[in-house]
Parts: sequence; structure tokens; C-alpha cells
Amino acid sequence: MKFDMDYIAHNNALTETNPYFKLFLTIILLVVTLALDNLYFDVIVFIIMSIVILAIAKIAFKSYLKFLSIPMAFLIITCIFLIFFFGSGEVIYDTKILGIVVTKNSLHYGVYTFMRVMGCLPCLGFLALTTPIAKILHCLATLKVPKIIIEIGLLMYNSIFIFLNEIDTMQKAQQTRLGYHSYTTSFKSLGGLASTIFLRSLDKSETLQHSLDSRGYDGELPVYEPKNRSN
Amino acid sequence: MHIMEGYLPLEWCIIWFVISFIVVAYGVYQIKKIVDETPESKALLAVSGAFMFVLSSLKLPSVTGSCSHPCGNGLGAALFGPAVTAVLATIVLLFQAILLAHGGLTTLGANIFSMGIIGPVVAWAVYKALIKANMSSTVAVFFAAFLGDLLTYVATSFQLALAFPAPSFGSALSKFLVIFAVTQVPLAIGEGILTVIIWDRLKEYKPKLLDKLGVLAPKEA
Repeated sequence: MKFDMDYIAHNNALTETNPYFKLFLTIILLVVTLALDNLYFDVIVFIIMSIVILAIAKIAFKSYLKFLSIPMAFLIITCIFLIFFFGSGEVIYDTKILGIVVTKNSLHYGVYTFMRVMGCLPCLGFLALTTPIAKILHCLATLKVPKIIIEIGLLMYNSIFIFLNEIDTMQKAQQTRLGYHSYTTSFKSLGGLASTIFLRSLDKSETLQHSLDSRGYDGELPVYEPKNRSN
Repeated sequence: MHIMEGYLPLEWCIIWFVISFIVVAYGVYQIKKIVDETPESKALLAVSGAFMFVLSSLKLPSVTGSCSHPCGNGLGAALFGPAVTAVLATIVLLFQAILLAHGGLTTLGANIFSMGIIGPVVAWAVYKALIKANMSSTVAVFFAAFLGDLLTYVATSFQLALAFPAPSFGSALSKFLVIFAVTQVPLAIGEGILTVIIWDRLKEYKPKLLDKLGVLAPKEA
């Protein structure tokens, strides 16, 4: 399923760790990695954060690989592109095809960009794989992000999963009726699916508003914060 | 096409964050005004945001073989206007980074700028202009979605060319445009067609709602 990451975020050894700590650690590491732009530092961050994710948070190796593989394909393509098509100055390697050459400059761009992304990905992974969204939003709320954004975010987060279930059902129904058989039918089915979901979402928003109102919603969703005994 | 985590150098991350922050702050102000006037609209906004997120997890059938997903920005901008869409897109992009590993936290500003600001603003302007020119809303929504989508990629190319000006900004831009913008033309057409199908359904089933939002052409209302 594509929402593996949300499940993992709720079920790992670091779920209950202070979210502020995780959030700040991620942001500081990201900024430092970008600011230093140093190949050795990128490798060190990559190794340390991978160890933290795999050994301390106890996230399965397969899930971590899956997380990395999503941006990896795109990263490799763009970096090869940077190496071969960008740059000026000293030529290091001539492919002899259409005058495509690797220059010192372009190699520098390609390698540094690749390593920078490699350093940053596990940092994002650390936050994304160990911290549930609701906790991140709660952190942001105490950090003076406008309340309205947090509220809309929380309500959105809840609705997303309801929609995904409905889409799953509808798509299966369409597939059994050969809805994705050819190019034209795919478009028709997808259009039907999306518009139905939109109409459903309008009904749902009404229901959601009624249910919030009936529970005395006055623009704030109080969340129970369990005290962490180990602290 | 999201710019991934760590792809941009630090100075560009900061610049895009600052630019996006100004627009999103204005959008938040707008949303606050809307919610103060009609408190029920908060649920509608949240659910529309969820719709945008879910739409982006659907796979769009593509001619070129590469897979892509609809953005839903055009639709959102035509319905709610660009300022509100920018705020919704900000939350959607944050969720995509954390739930799906699409995009990233440091490149969030740049992604908000291309996907949440340029795309919706273009889509909204095109939509309003075509409606004024007495086109039917179906035609208008097609071009809004198509151009909104395409200009998003053009904006991304600009951002990448600014970050990697090698050997010069101009030549880098033309290369990025060939890769990102030209290859995206069929996908943008796909998104346009899809949005038209959605729009026609909406017009059929909920004409009153569209009328209330004030988005239909005068003769259709």
C-alpha cells in the first residue's frame, strides 16, 4: 500500500519520543547539510541517519529501501543529465557522440547534487518514518503557525484516509468492468472517479461540520498529550 | 514534478521560502476572513484540500509512458481563487513530503512557489479571462488546467536553471525547459481533459453550487 509510511510512523520504536526533538534535529541537520555542501559530511549524515532509522527506530530494512527508492530513480536521471549536459571549462571525458562532453564543472555539479540529496533523504526519512503527522501538526501549532492552518491540516488528514478507501473500492469496481481497458476508457473512468469523489467530499464536509458542531466545536480541537514516563 | 529534498542549494531554498511565505500569509488572511464570515466553510476547505491530495495519488494514463498524476490545482484555483489554493497546496505539499516522500522540507518553499502559486494564479487568470471573453466554462476550465499545469513546469525549470546556471542561466533554462516543459505537454493535455470531465459532471449534478461560488459563465448561470 502507498500509505505504508503512515503506518510505520505510528508503529516504531521512536514514535513516542519527543516530537520537538525529532523535528528540530531534522531541520538542523538538513540546514547544516545544505550549508556545508561537503561530500564527507553528506556521507557521514547518510550513514548515521540510516543507522538511527534502522537500528534505533527499528524500521524494517525493506521499508527504508522503499522510502529511498521513490526519489532515487528521479535523482539518478537528473544527475546523469547534469553531468553530461551542463557545464563549461575543462573537458575531462569526450563521449564523441553529438559533441556531448563531461567537463570539470558539470561533474562537480552532478556529484555534489547527488551527494547532497543522499545526505538529506535520510533526514527527511527520520522525521517522516518516526513521527505521525498529527504530532508534527501539534508541534507546529505551539510554534505559532496560524491555528487555521493546523485545523484545516488535521481535518484534511482525517478525510484523506476516508477518501482513499472509497477510491480503492471504486477503482476495483471500475476495473472489474474493464474501465481501464483502453486509453479512452481510462480517462472516462478516472474522470468519473474524480468527480464522484469530489461530490462525495462535498457531502462529507457537510457531515463533518455537523458532527463537529454537535460536539461543541468552537474552532479548536483539543488533543490529549500523554505524559512520557521515561522523561 | 516536485523538486526533491536537498536538490537546491541553501540560498535558493531560503529565497523561495521567503517569496512563498508572503503569498501564503496573504492566503491565510483571506481564509481567516472567509471562515469568520461563514464558519461552515472550514470543513469545505479541509475536504477540498484532502481532495487535492487524493487526486495527486491517482495515476494519470500517459502517452509517453512515464507516469504522472493530476495536480488538481487548476480545478482548485477555478473554484476557490488562487490565494486560498496556495494555502491548501502548502498543506498538501507538506503531507506529500511526509507521507509519500514526494518533494521535501527544504525544497518546500520552491515547490509551493511553482505548484501552489504560479500554477493556480495562471489557471485562475486564464479561467477568468476566457469567461470574460464569453467562452463556455468547459472550454475555459480546459485551458485553465492545461496552462496552469504547463506553467507549473516552466516555473520549475526556471527554479532549477537559477540554481544550476551552467554554463549560463539562458542555456541552462533552455535545457531544463526541453526536459521538463516539453515532455509535460501531453501530460498537461491529459490533465486538461480530466478536469473537463470532472467539471462537466459537476455542472450536471451541482449547478447550484457552482453558481453560488460565482464561477460559471454568465449565460450558463
